Amino acid sequence: MSHEYIPEIAVDRDGNEHEVQGWQDDFYGGKLGFWLFMFTEVLMFGAMFMVLAYYNTLHPNEFIEASASLNRLLGGINTVILLVSALTMGLGLLKMRVGDVKGAKLMIWATILLAVAFLIIKGFEWTAEYNHGIFLMHGEMLPESGMAFGKKLFFGMYFSMTGLHGVHIIIGIGLMIWLLKRINAGKVSPEHHILYWNIALYWDIVHLIWVFVFPYYYMIGAGGVTGGH
Amino acid sequence: MDTNTIDFKRERLGYYKVLVGLLLLTAVTFIQPHLFMVESTFLAQMAIAVVKAWLIIMYYMHLKGDNLIGVMGLFSLIIVAVFFIIVIGFDVANFQYGAESHITGPASAGVENTAPAHH
Repeated sequence: MSHEYIPEIAVDRDGNEHEVQGWQDDFYGGKLGFWLFMFTEVLMFGAMFMVLAYYNTLHPNEFIEASASLNRLLGGINTVILLVSALTMGLGLLKMRVGDVKGAKLMIWATILLAVAFLIIKGFEWTAEYNHGIFLMHGEMLPESGMAFGKKLFFGMYFSMTGLHGVHIIIGIGLMIWLLKRINAGKVSPEHHILYWNIALYWDIVHLIWVFVFPYYYMIGAGGVTGGH
Repeated sequence: MDTNTIDFKRERLGYYKVLVGLLLLTAVTFIQPHLFMVESTFLAQMAIAVVKAWLIIMYYMHLKGDNLIGVMGLFSLIIVAVFFIIVIGFDVANFQYGAESHITGPASAGVENTAPAHH
């Protein structure tokens, strides 16, 4: 499928041809549409946070105990990684806007590397939890196990939400590779960079979700078992 | 928002300033449970997260100065908040099958918080 920009032509009653503004030039429309998509992302994760909050009200102490058992160091490192990756993505977009295409591509590669590092650390974390018998439908999480029910709810939501977030990271990596291909093909340029802008927005929303996921799962139990609520 | 007149140095400096702010807030996230609001860790953590989110939305996502999308976002959030907090919240608070549900049952019945043998 060709992605060549073909302008739409309108012909007036006198037979004169006029170029209609195409989507590549409709910067604001493209941005607005992507914001609408991002609202659906907020709805999806927002619903999951509501479920999490409801379970939390049912089992507050078990949530704090379960949170205290998570690896805050690895979670914190991943937080900083995503934070820096949002910067590299933003700086890349800025470089593209001023015409530094090579610099923009370097920044995209840096963002991809940081995203891969995030997934590797998350993989180590999940592996350690699996080896402790904590994973969806495994070991301590099975219905017949002796783990407190509130902890099962906590870890069930933890794996679901961090897993869904991880899927978004993988999709982001795919989008950035696609963006690199589009830049190399000359389809994304300093004059037509709405695709870059929207993929940077996507990466920011992935970061934004983590900004709430991290404290809710990793930090509410940091003050000890008795405090926190 | 996006124009051909880009002050590269000023915008790059803005990105770095926000990065420093976010890093500082991340550090506060780690020290908060031991330093302040120790009995309200959840509230403190969510408050810090909201400030971080505001920085990201306004500066990294370029919403600052973009009134149309800003107003749309606010309007959407209000609608979502109304549905989630008022409509669903009222429904959940009056959940009539609480005693029969294996999620709400154990807590509402005041028995041991363990899962039933079969789901």
